[in-house]
Amino acid sequence: MKFARLSAVATAVVLAAMIVVFIVSDGDTDVGTRSPLLGQPAPAIVTTTIDEQPFDLGRRKGSWVVLNFFNSTCVPCIAEHPSLVKFVSAESARPDGAEFYTVVNDDSDSAIRDFFSANGGNWPKLRDADGAIAVAFGVAKVPETWIIDPNGFVRLRILGAVADGVLEAQLADLRAREG
Amino acid sequence: MSLESPAHHANHAARRTMLRRLAWAVTLVVAIALLVFGAGRDTGPLTQQDRIDAITKRIACPTCDGESVYVSRAAAAQAIRAEIARQVGDGLKTDDEIVAFVADRFGGQVLLVPSGRGLEALVWVLPVALAVVLVAGLLVSVNRGAVGSSRPSRRRKLVITMVIAVVVGTGVGVLVARQSGQRLPLQTATGGIEDSTASLLSQARLAGPTDVKSAIDLYGRVLETDPDNVEALTYRAWLIMLSARQFDESLRKQAYATTIASLGRAIELDPAYPDAMCFLGIVVFRDGGDAASAKEFLDRCIERNPPAEVRGLVESLRTEVEAALGD
Repeated sequence: MKFARLSAVATAVVLAAMIVVFIVSDGDTDVGTRSPLLGQPAPAIVTTTIDEQPFDLGRRKGSWVVLNFFNSTCVPCIAEHPSLVKFVSAESARPDGAEFYTVVNDDSDSAIRDFFSANGGNWPKLRDADGAIAVAFGVAKVPETWIIDPNGFVRLRILGAVADGVLEAQLADLRAREG
Repeated sequence: MSLESPAHHANHAARRTMLRRLAWAVTLVVAIALLVFGAGRDTGPLTQQDRIDAITKRIACPTCDGESVYVSRAAAAQAIRAEIARQVGDGLKTDDEIVAFVADRFGGQVLLVPSGRGLEALVWVLPVALAVVLVAGLLVSVNRGAVGSSRPSRRRKLVITMVIAVVVGTGVGVLVARQSGQRLPLQTATGGIEDSTASLLSQARLAGPTDVKSAIDLYGRVLETDPDNVEALTYRAWLIMLSARQFDESLRKQAYATTIASLGRAIELDPAYPDAMCFLGIVVFRDGGDAASAKEFLDRCIERNPPAEVRGLVESLRTEVEAALGD
């Protein structure tokens, strides 16, 4: 009898705790994804573009920087491409427009050139020959999109394809928070 | 003359026998555990490749099921292996620090060996604690018939024995967890870089607009350890000039000379760095009154594709410079 009462009380406590957890947890409905890098200085990126131009992320402080990890054979990467083209077009019209870079993930220069000449997107494409940039950001699968603020801090990580208007909304939100 | 009864003596002797056996059992369990873990430990890597192999065996491929980075041919695994090889080659981090770096970037799920701390340590502690408790329980049940004491007394002994067994088992389990569990010395996201150059530069940029003095100090700290840091040279010089504008002529002249020298040094170190060229143009015009040189520097600045914040400063100034040259 005593045991039965104790079991009932224990069950009630566990159920109450579960309800509290469900109410308090944020449910992860945001497009942003967790990363230990959020709020931290961005990892160093020193590489070249597929057009042989040097690139150093540390030298882009003062601009919002968007990095999109990409592979020309990845279906979600292809699917999100028109949204990225629209985003870059809108940003380049702003005086404080974000700089957009594709980080080539496990793909050849020629495949990237072919894809962009067929689908548009006149922005720099960064080489990541041995995957060092992907590892530094913890990118296992593409596409992934990261936003870095003008002070060089990582502010947002989006896993998977971005839909129309998502990047615009997220960047507007970040700019508003930045003041 | 003793007042204790023969039954009491027998009871006391039985208790001592049981405790002695328990102590032997615990000693045996600890010895076996130490032997197993001692025998299982390898003698350490002999070459860099051994180190790379040992580390990659401790990390799961983030894009495949049940494969370590050591065996996987997936692109992500190859990238991680290349990064581990690079860090081993640098020779600056221990194996645990390299594993911690990868776990930090890809999440704890890539660790193939459970951690010896926190909730994950239960994986190590529970089996050991359970084994010790089972051995103690076995001993108690074997001795139950031999012990000629009352039922409440037997129950008390059982409880005491079990509490001791749980404590000892947990202690041994914790030792095993500490010895064999994954050790992750770096828990911060970017590897304990509070005082690193990257962190100081980021802090300086954050302080810059509102707390110029702190920003100048932070850039100065970067230059103490890295005197050729182009960003610190450039922004420290720029902030010194901005803050000197509120002081008298002699201080402004002194600051101007320092700023020009630092920006010149930054350009010499990295001619492609746009910010130094842009600030040089601004300072030469605003503080030196030399529109012709300023125009040249500002044109070079724009050629170098400055970031948005600096571009904004320069573009508004270029019309002023051109107007000054037109006069």
